[in-house]
Amino acid sequence: MDENRTLSRRKLLHGLAGTGVIAAADLGWWDAPFIAPRKAWGAEPVRFQWSVPEPTRIALMNSLVERFNQSQKDFAVQIEYVPQAQARQKLISAISAGSPPDLCQVWDNWVGQFQGMGAVEDITARAKAWKHYGDVQATAWQTVTIDNKIVSLPLALTLDGIFYRTDRLKELGLKEPTPDWTWDEFLAMAKAFTKADKNQYGYGMRGAGTWAVLYPSEFAYANGATVLTDGKIAINSKEAVDALAWYVDLALKHKVTPPSAATDGFVEIVETFGRGVTSMYQHNSGSVGQQKKNVGADKFATLPVPIGPAKKRASYYFSETLTAFTGGRNKEGAWQFMSFMLEDEPSLMYCKTLGLLPARKSIISQPEFSKDPALSGFVESFPFAIVSPYLAYPGWGGKIDSDGVPLIQQAILGKITPKECLDRFADVLKKEMT
Amino acid sequence: MAIVTLASPRPRPLISWRVRKLLVGYSYLVPAALCMLATVVVPIGLAIKMSLYNDVLYKPQAYHFIGPGNYVRLVQDPVFWLTLWNSVVWVFGSVVLQFVFGFAAALLLHQAFTGRALVRTLTLLPWIIPGVVVGLIWEWLYQPNYGVINDLLLKAGWMHDRVAWLSSPDLAMAAVIFTNIWRGIPFFAIMLLAGLQAIPGELYEAAHVDGAGVVSRFWHITLPLLRPIIVVATATRIIWTFNYADLIFVMTGGGPANATQITSTYTLMQAYTNLDFGYAGALSVVLLLVMLAFTAVYLRITRGVEETG
Repeated sequence: MDENRTLSRRKLLHGLAGTGVIAAADLGWWDAPFIAPRKAWGAEPVRFQWSVPEPTRIALMNSLVERFNQSQKDFAVQIEYVPQAQARQKLISAISAGSPPDLCQVWDNWVGQFQGMGAVEDITARAKAWKHYGDVQATAWQTVTIDNKIVSLPLALTLDGIFYRTDRLKELGLKEPTPDWTWDEFLAMAKAFTKADKNQYGYGMRGAGTWAVLYPSEFAYANGATVLTDGKIAINSKEAVDALAWYVDLALKHKVTPPSAATDGFVEIVETFGRGVTSMYQHNSGSVGQQKKNVGADKFATLPVPIGPAKKRASYYFSETLTAFTGGRNKEGAWQFMSFMLEDEPSLMYCKTLGLLPARKSIISQPEFSKDPALSGFVESFPFAIVSPYLAYPGWGGKIDSDGVPLIQQAILGKITPKECLDRFADVLKKEMT
Repeated sequence: MAIVTLASPRPRPLISWRVRKLLVGYSYLVPAALCMLATVVVPIGLAIKMSLYNDVLYKPQAYHFIGPGNYVRLVQDPVFWLTLWNSVVWVFGSVVLQFVFGFAAALLLHQAFTGRALVRTLTLLPWIIPGVVVGLIWEWLYQPNYGVINDLLLKAGWMHDRVAWLSSPDLAMAAVIFTNIWRGIPFFAIMLLAGLQAIPGELYEAAHVDGAGVVSRFWHITLPLLRPIIVVATATRIIWTFNYADLIFVMTGGGPANATQITSTYTLMQAYTNLDFGYAGALSVVLLLVMLAFTAVYLRITRGVEETG
């Protein structure tokens, strides 16, 4: 028999190994740990609740957890995926029942309520002794510090900016806006983009969800208003009312928003931009990845929010946090995993893949973030970024959704005046300050 | 000499036969009663207790007994009254039209025609699809910018501007009710079809011989004989619609500006958005009372039906 034409066991094994190498080279970064065999250690479980189960994040988180589990022998993280819409509700139920997860991905605007419930683990001592403590941006620490206690690790940061279509701008022959653009320029661009007969609108206004209240509030800062002045509620000052009037006029008077603005939430403002219905919208860097797929990386860019009549502006700073609970059973394991997530490679890959901004200064300065035009609007917003003033009182988070959103919707629909809207909302918030 | 042996009397049992029979009967009910106690009675009791406390989860230091405080707040809360009114519109707007169209569908499906089995199966589809999926499908159909409904109406020339069906306070409730009607028609159609099939054909033949017309036969035979099913199906559907708000939750979240906020979704919001379990408890108790009142009326009507039957 011709030896060259026979398939020996050795050749077969070589062939299989070669195929494996080629296949591994084609896999994404997040597939890598699954090629290596899992070590069978008797590790203590760490229950980790994760609440944004969409395909990319699931692949990414599975990979990060697997990397952590393979990197040491004491703890084994087990992810519990929960739909985002039910995450808070499930967490509250678990805390009330005395069985919270050891660790949870939580937005900082929820943390205040959980801290009020006495459910959040104080990690100040661990955080201050941690090797990357000084590398995390000071503002990021502010978002997770309540009553001088650090209660979470800031996994990623978000800042609000304006997404806009660069290709439409060229088609219309409009001048490229600069990062120090103004309200007037914003309005002129929104009007130019609006072609209602073609189902195209300048600005995808958000009318549903917490940020339906926060976005106009950022515009109010640009008009010289604040949420709290000397510890007193100031959301219904003249400056704030004028700013809201200007904002709702985008829908009522100038009609540069889609007719569905009053109920458009996160999904709708991102989708309408992605489908070419709107040419601008306000959001954080979390939808950059999606727009790169929907619109194309070369067809959009981001800018900071425009400067208002008071020659000011503000962008609210939020953190996606990792938070441990007092009722958790494996606090050491929770800390080990949360600090692992902020190590160089996990933090870089997590934020790069999802279009988020890392909390650590040494990572955000890397070209993946500082040189990407889709992220430039957010990076340029750091100088005037402020921690959301609505984090001041734990009860405000819920009241924004239950009372603030219906009031803003009524204002967007012209059912109440901006002054009525803000006066009524101020009364609601005042009651939660006592 | 005859010997007479007297049987010794049987000792009298401690518990009589009648009582024992009763006890055995009741003991069979114990497991079910315990389940009911644990899953219905105790939670209701806890909800009533919760409603009497200032129970805001993020203010554990402020937890204290406030008696009827939450109920007083409820009476003074304009949003509660709005949600109660919205609930009435939502329930009766949905159920009445579901019944009318469901009845019409049942009468059609009762006729003999080719492909009837297939049509009957297809009729069930909206009822088979889970509520959340129905909500998502219709939310996309209503979408003003790229939804099919606006697209078709514009192409047909029946509309010149895009209508934001779920974003207009004047249209949103009608839009979600329309979806609920679409979803609920099969329930009535199948229930009433089963009733129609149970009516003996001889009754119609006899009426026909006596000269009764179509309307007369419907009025004097079909309706009276279907009455028990109509009462049960309608009452059941009213209770379901009042308590379950999956469509509203998915399609509008109670908006815009509370235009579609019903008491069930408002209760959920108070509990899980504001973490105000005391107030949510009071809302739940009021919901329970409303349903109890309705059920009492319902039982009364049903008893009347049984007697006439």
